[in-house]
Amino acid sequence: MHSLQVAMPITRNFAQTHIKYMAERIVKSLVLIAVICCSVQFLAARMVHVGIAQNPPKCYMDDEGKPAGIFVEILNSIGNEEGWELQYQLGKWDENLLKLQSGEIDLVADVAYTTDRDKLFDFHSIPVLSSWSQVYSRKGLGIQSIIDLDGKRIVVLEGSIQQQALNTMVRGFGLQVTITAVQSFDDAFKAVAENKADVAVTNNFFGRMHANSYGLEDTAIVFEPSTLFFVAAKGRNVDLLDKIDLNLKQLKQTPDSDYYKAIRNWTSESTGMIIPLWVKVMLLIIGLGLLISTIAGFVLKRQVRLRTHELQLANADMENRIIERTKELASAMQAAQQADMLKSAFLATMSHELRTPLNSIIGFTGILLQELPGNLNDEQKKQLHLVQNSSRHLLSLINDVLDISKIEAGQLDLQYSIFDLKKSIEKVLLLVKTQAEKKGLEVNTCYQHDSLEIECDQRRLEQVILNLLSNAVKFTETGSITITTMEQNECYIISIQDTGIGIPLSELDRLFKPFHQIDSGLTRKYEGTGLGLSICYQLLNLLGGRIVVKSEPGKGSTFRAIVPKRGANGKKQTDSCD
Amino acid sequence: MEKNKQILVIEDNPSNLYLMQYLLGKHGYTAIEADTGLKGIDLALTSKPLAIILDIQLPEMDGYEVAKAIRAYSSLDDTPIIAVTSYAMIGDRENAIAAGASAYIEKPINPDTFIREIESHIQEYSERSKLCES
Repeated sequence: MHSLQVAMPITRNFAQTHIKYMAERIVKSLVLIAVICCSVQFLAARMVHVGIAQNPPKCYMDDEGKPAGIFVEILNSIGNEEGWELQYQLGKWDENLLKLQSGEIDLVADVAYTTDRDKLFDFHSIPVLSSWSQVYSRKGLGIQSIIDLDGKRIVVLEGSIQQQALNTMVRGFGLQVTITAVQSFDDAFKAVAENKADVAVTNNFFGRMHANSYGLEDTAIVFEPSTLFFVAAKGRNVDLLDKIDLNLKQLKQTPDSDYYKAIRNWTSESTGMIIPLWVKVMLLIIGLGLLISTIAGFVLKRQVRLRTHELQLANADMENRIIERTKELASAMQAAQQADMLKSAFLATMSHELRTPLNSIIGFTGILLQELPGNLNDEQKKQLHLVQNSSRHLLSLINDVLDISKIEAGQLDLQYSIFDLKKSIEKVLLLVKTQAEKKGLEVNTCYQHDSLEIECDQRRLEQVILNLLSNAVKFTETGSITITTMEQNECYIISIQDTGIGIPLSELDRLFKPFHQIDSGLTRKYEGTGLGLSICYQLLNLLGGRIVVKSEPGKGSTFRAIVPKRGANGKKQTDSCD
Repeated sequence: MEKNKQILVIEDNPSNLYLMQYLLGKHGYTAIEADTGLKGIDLALTSKPLAIILDIQLPEMDGYEVAKAIRAYSSLDDTPIIAVTSYAMIGDRENAIAAGASAYIEKPINPDTFIREIESHIQEYSERSKLCES
């Protein structure tokens, strides 16, 4: 069942398609028959002779002797429909009418209706075209109205509707004019162009098409609107006229019919003929503009292409350079890394090479002063002490240089341990005590608490304290040195105050820079590398602390070392230590 | 049994070697000298010293390698190695300890305290060993 239900519409569809196919075949056969019938009809076609005058664009013989124009096209369309064989004969306007009378031709195209003519010929009832007469003048004559025609020479077509109307009009307005009749509209325009006449009167179709080519312009003088027809001799070809009416009626009802095509063909051509000069100039300019812009566009395109190519080249070049540069940078980086390794190797070597001989000097001096090899006299002891001091000083200088190098190379090794800051200070004080006593300086200490437990690199912190204390002793001639400790925000503040020479304000900024010693020059009053404070500054930084200085020249200085209580983890808190 | 007073000094610089030898001698120790690492290892194995004072910067075989080699012999497990070096770069101490040294003394040595430092390290090491055994 299911499959049947599905099959049904298919069968029906098939039947429909089949019927459609059959119907198409029948229609095709009918068309074929009709075509054959038409051919038969054509074979037995009625011969129709049509007289036309040279009156483009309504009707004329073109350069190749072929009939053309609006009337011709419309009649061809009708003849085609009715199976007429149309034979066109070119003749003068009045000749054609005579031939019509004599029966030589059956129809004359393009005849304006007048009551007089209606008496002589048969007109069909639906007009082919509407027309009017218009006055055309040489350019610049300034003819605005009918009055301006006074005293002018006028040409008209012999026997034309314009001739009659003009005569009536001139008489009516009482104008003094010279009227010349010629055989064709072309002759009329030629006469005006050659200054044999001033104005010509033609129908609007001819005028629109040809005025410009003769150098004439249309005037506002328009008269005698008329309707144009085909005419036949009285009573002789009524059937032709009836068919024409029948077809015209139909043709005029269909917007896209041959009728409208014919009018469009010829009138649009004529509008082309009346393009004013400025429009032409404009068109020419626009055309030139277009041409130039096209050329410019082409040139631009070419330039863009060239530029693009250049850019591509430049881009490729740039890429190459980037690659090269990257390589250079990579090798520079490698070189820098090598240099860094070299620096480390240099530091290690220097450290070893300088300390090894010092090890002997300091070692043996110590042994001699211990009098292990034998007793020394006082002078020997004094001199050996000088050697010992000098060698220790040399060692401290070497250590300073190596320390700053290590700090800058990021190779300083911090050893954190928990110890008593108070004990460390006391230990360092012992080292400078002798020197201070020699100078007669008073050394005071003031601890906030008895025990000052701290987690720090003991050796490095002691190095900082020693440095600051040594400086205090070194730069103070009279007075005192005071060491105080304070606890604040998880930090210890170790303050070392002296009554020494002080530091000028201008020098404070540079104080912690390496190799800086105030009054630096070849003749220095105080020995030292000028590295001490720089090392203190950097060590405290590494330890998570900082150093602060206050000073007044001539009065003394106060250095404050601020160190976190709890190792590197206390670093964060030092910001609040002040 | 007579107390072992022999201390092996592995050091390539003659004056520094003499300095340590003199100091040790003055304090009742006998210094056995080696100016290369290989000689030092040989002497350590044959003489089984109380302690070994080891310079790190040595020709051919450096102090770290010597320490490692010595630590490979279980017969020398009880012998402390005290590294003495003028190196003071990052990791020197750690490297020395990692190689098998039990202590680390930085050059230049202080003749006033050197022997005391050596003695305290020996003491420390033997106490540590005892703790490990028990």
